[in-house]
Amino acid sequence: MELKRAIEILDGEVLTTSVNLNRQVKGGVGADLMSDVLSSTQPEALLLTGLCNPQVVRTAVMADVTAIVLVRGKQPPNETLQLAENEGIPLISTRYGMFEACGRLYQAGLPCLERPVSSE
Amino acid sequence: MSDNLLSASRVITDKVAENISRVEELAYEIRVREVMTSQVITMHPNDAMQTVLETFRQARISGAPVLEEGNLIGLISIEDLIRCLLKQDLAAPVHQYMTPHPVVVKGDDSVVEALKVFVSKKYGRLPVVDSNGHLIGIITKGDITRGLLRALERDYQSEEVRRYRASHLFEDIESERTSLILRYNIKQGDFEHGGEASAKIKRALLRLGASPQIARRCGIAVYEAEMNLIIHTTEGGVIRAEIEPHQISIDVYDYGPGIRDVELAMQPGYSTASEKVREMGFGAGMGLVNIKRCVDWMKLESEWGKGTRLRMKIYLPPPHTHTKGENSNPT
Amino acid sequence: MRLDQIVNALQLSVLTHPIDLSEVEPTGGYASDLLSCVMSGAQRGNLWVTLQSHLNIVAVAALLDLAAIIITEGAQPDVATLEKAEQEGVILLSTPLPTYTVIGRLWELGVRNPETTP
Repeated sequence: MELKRAIEILDGEVLTTSVNLNRQVKGGVGADLMSDVLSSTQPEALLLTGLCNPQVVRTAVMADVTAIVLVRGKQPPNETLQLAENEGIPLISTRYGMFEACGRLYQAGLPCLERPVSSE
Repeated sequence: MSDNLLSASRVITDKVAENISRVEELAYEIRVREVMTSQVITMHPNDAMQTVLETFRQARISGAPVLEEGNLIGLISIEDLIRCLLKQDLAAPVHQYMTPHPVVVKGDDSVVEALKVFVSKKYGRLPVVDSNGHLIGIITKGDITRGLLRALERDYQSEEVRRYRASHLFEDIESERTSLILRYNIKQGDFEHGGEASAKIKRALLRLGASPQIARRCGIAVYEAEMNLIIHTTEGGVIRAEIEPHQISIDVYDYGPGIRDVELAMQPGYSTASEKVREMGFGAGMGLVNIKRCVDWMKLESEWGKGTRLRMKIYLPPPHTHTKGENSNPT
Repeated sequence: MRLDQIVNALQLSVLTHPIDLSEVEPTGGYASDLLSCVMSGAQRGNLWVTLQSHLNIVAVAALLDLAAIIITEGAQPDVATLEKAEQEGVILLSTPLPTYTVIGRLWELGVRNPETTP
């Protein structure tokens, strides 16, 4: 799914500059535990999270996440924004909570990009 | 010697793939004013079409903006000239044949905006205006392509030079056993910089020519270890990564307080992290489990009251074979 | 949608002693792994989806009167957590599916989060 379609579905606001909205995201992952993101997220995911500290961006860099959605209308602190700009990871804010945001994307056909841990 | 770190054919493939998406990125980053032609030949509405014919021929251009008292009022193109020639009407004034109220782009728009117009309309060129609507240049599809190529080359060259230098390190320096050691001091409680060391190690590996899968596995393992130093130690610790053509060895050690029960600490879900740390998204008791999944070998030693030492190794694939996918179980 | 229908549709394991799930009808869904978010955002009767499986989730669910907790990715609560859940009458469900998929399926079944739905 194109990033801009996901943003449309989430009624999202792009917080970082120079974002290529035509980029593809392969699937979604909803998580607040960074170890979970690191352990089971496949590359090129759209990460939905309730956290907005800089570690979210660091984690996204490590896990090759394409873009981050901050749920529940969270506005990230400056350090997070700055790090996201530097690392070139788009930050998107949506007023929807995690439940609604994931539900809407799933409904629109964005698959899950988390590998179930038990399948390993 | 460094073939297992840098297999030429693989790197080129990765590079090509990267560059395709990079062009798209650049289309958003580069502004119209950076690639447009600013020396614009303009016509006056009362010029004769004969003058247009001569100007186009001499300057080898196929279109020009029409200005009246400095204001952009139209665009005259080779197609208009042909219509005029067919009617043998070269004495007619420009304003009879020009396209009035032309579509314009702003100098500060990204070139993607111009591309959108080129795709949706059939124009060959677009006048570029400043925020006051004054003509500052003209842009064609060719200008955009050239601009993108230039930027890409710039980009490519600087990273390529870095990569080249780095990836030939092992070839250029001869010894019985060459290795590169990266060392980082990690402060306890320094959440703000947590992950910086691992990000640097990951970048170094990519520059050295490691595959994205290897860089990712290594980055994740070191990141978890780095966060452990920040969360669990009394005074921080050290990350030392040794990169050799055949393996990456990472040594993470601290001076306390140590782990009371190493076996218990290795169990998924076991954590001694505070609620505050959990609320930051860490301390779910998955870190060590995660590390084990990412590396080929690990050893955790700890003495309560003294400190902890975590050693990990990731083996690099032998020459001319493909990197093992990260989905295969490394442990 | 009743809880027994949800358990069937998603093939969830019921970890706590069976009570009549057909009498429970969640008021909506809520997903978060951060207890502070759940405390501030989840509504009474919500079905809570999380990867967390430690003891504190039971206390939060009991406090907020949540319909049940779905623990995702096959995470296993320990004995103390299970015992506490029995005591407090909190229903614990589990699935190997990741949070994103669980939410997607629940959404398909019509479970929503009314608080953030415009």
